[in-house]
Amino acid sequence: MPPLTRPPVAVPFPGSRPSRFARVFALLFGLTAAASWWAARVDLPTLFSREAFRNALVFVADGFPPALSPTFLFFLIRPALETVQISLLGTAVALVIGFPLGILATASLAHAGPLHELDLSGRPVRRLLRFMPYGLSRALLSLFRSVPELVWALVFVRATGLGPFPGVLAIGVAYGGILGKVYSEIFEAVDPRPLEALQATGASRWGVFWYGMVPQAFPHLVSYTLYRWECAIRASAILGFVGAGGIGQQIEISMRMFNFGEVVTLIGLLVLMVAGTDALSLRLRRRVL
Amino acid sequence: MYQAEGLTKVFPGEIRAVDGLDLKIGAGERVAFIGPSGAGKTTLFRLLNCTLKPTAGRLWVGGREVAHLHGAALRAARRRIGTIYQQHNLVPRLPVIHNVLAGRLGTWSTTRALLSLARPVEVEEAHRALQQVGIPEKLYARTDELSGGQQQRVAIARALLQDPDIILADEPVSSVDPTLAAGIVHLLTDISRATGKTLVVNLHSVDLALATFPRIIGLRDGRVLFDLAPAAVRDETLAALYRGAPATGPAEGALDAPLDPATSCRPLPRV
Ligand SMILES: Nc1ncnc2c1ncn2[C@@H]1O[C@H](COP(=O)(O)OP(=O)(O)OP(=O)(O)O)[C@@H](O)[C@H]1O
Ligand SMILES: [Mg+2]
Repeated sequence: MPPLTRPPVAVPFPGSRPSRFARVFALLFGLTAAASWWAARVDLPTLFSREAFRNALVFVADGFPPALSPTFLFFLIRPALETVQISLLGTAVALVIGFPLGILATASLAHAGPLHELDLSGRPVRRLLRFMPYGLSRALLSLFRSVPELVWALVFVRATGLGPFPGVLAIGVAYGGILGKVYSEIFEAVDPRPLEALQATGASRWGVFWYGMVPQAFPHLVSYTLYRWECAIRASAILGFVGAGGIGQQIEISMRMFNFGEVVTLIGLLVLMVAGTDALSLRLRRRVL
Repeated sequence: MYQAEGLTKVFPGEIRAVDGLDLKIGAGERVAFIGPSGAGKTTLFRLLNCTLKPTAGRLWVGGREVAHLHGAALRAARRRIGTIYQQHNLVPRLPVIHNVLAGRLGTWSTTRALLSLARPVEVEEAHRALQQVGIPEKLYARTDELSGGQQQRVAIARALLQDPDIILADEPVSSVDPTLAAGIVHLLTDISRATGKTLVVNLHSVDLALATFPRIIGLRDGRVLFDLAPAAVRDETLAALYRGAPATGPAEGALDAPLDPATSCRPLPRV
């Protein structure tokens, strides 16, 4: 009798075929993509036609040569600074909104998964009580981020008047919704085994969160927040169009004056600023990884 | 300390990891579980440390039924059980000291826990625990920079700092060399003997188990196959326990050993 060999049983290989869900999902995805192509009137021949090219060129050529007079450049310092300030403060507000809501919106922390398996078993009322702040924060986050920041800016310009402040609030609220959702997904994705070990010492959920989740999630949190800051610089330019200060407001004024040379300078400045934040955040990311 | 009646845990896919287990472990007892890979040892330990909810059956810890424990009472029960996990389950990016001090989270307030992250408290205790497992110099190292065996010892130090009434050690020495393994198992049994803590371990090294523990429980397919004093554990008993197990069963190295003609089984590895 040769014992330590495998019994000759045909073991079905699990998971070798995509599940029905995966197949239905793939089919629906394909159909939706095709329908969208048609509905969005994607028209590649026109896009790549000579005429389209010429029109675009004319539009761009209007901006040359860009305005580079010392007085104009000097004048730009203030709006440029203002844009940086709006984006920084806006991201800070987004962090203040997004972090706590993101914690509440993390299912593995709120009510689902092995951390709650024993605690919530046979306690439907408790489960519901745990679910409520979770559901509420999810709803709030999705409201914050589904209203575009431009609309938030219009609302806040009405409320607080023209200037950088409504820009800060608009970015803060819209990006708070985005950060909160992404934070909760980052928290959700950390390795659950260290969390279980922490809980097994009798740690509270806060203990598990600060000792287990945050350290694991930290580099991703930093990385994504920095990326959002970069986005905020771009967004603050758009927000300027509705009177929320910064470079954007300047672009809007120059456009209204048909002064496309100034517009090109301003956009160049914006590109420089985004590249600057990118370089800065790269260094920060290296530090925390 | 523990009592189980028909304890069962079924995972999705009808995997009966623990299947109708009856068990009684007294306070201060030292018990070793042995059994092939996939026997349900880790699952049993996760039931015993009040993490998983049994699919069926009942479990009492210290006279209280686990199914009735919730909220603060559940946390209090968990605080008294220290688990050393097979995969260490440490937080990789945290310095060693915080992983060790995490053993205190059950007694600390959230404020104290947060303050300690900024500026570690109870450093002396953490240092002493690391000294006991032989790596005091790693106090401020980052945990993911440690070797597997060193990480395992950090996990043991965390359990020491927790100072529980029950120590559950799931393969506490799987990634250290044999000499160190014996040393660590003896450290645990010494602590249990000196302080009357209940010690439940699960060892792939059968010899170490037989040599160190007064009670050996063989687990297979989620059931207790035998529950004996080490002297009563015969070669046939062990052969039955590991029969037909996949090659990774008893321990690494088992495959290299020649077949024993008497039992036509590979001898169990010496430590
Ligand atoms: N979370 C889970 N979900 C599904 N199945 C699981 C889960 N955890 C364990 N199992 C299954 O339960 C069975 C017992 O697993 P367990 O980890 O308890 O074995 P073990 O005795 O600890 O093995 P080893 O000695 O290799 O650590 C295995 O078949 C495993 O695949
Ligand atoms: Mg195991």
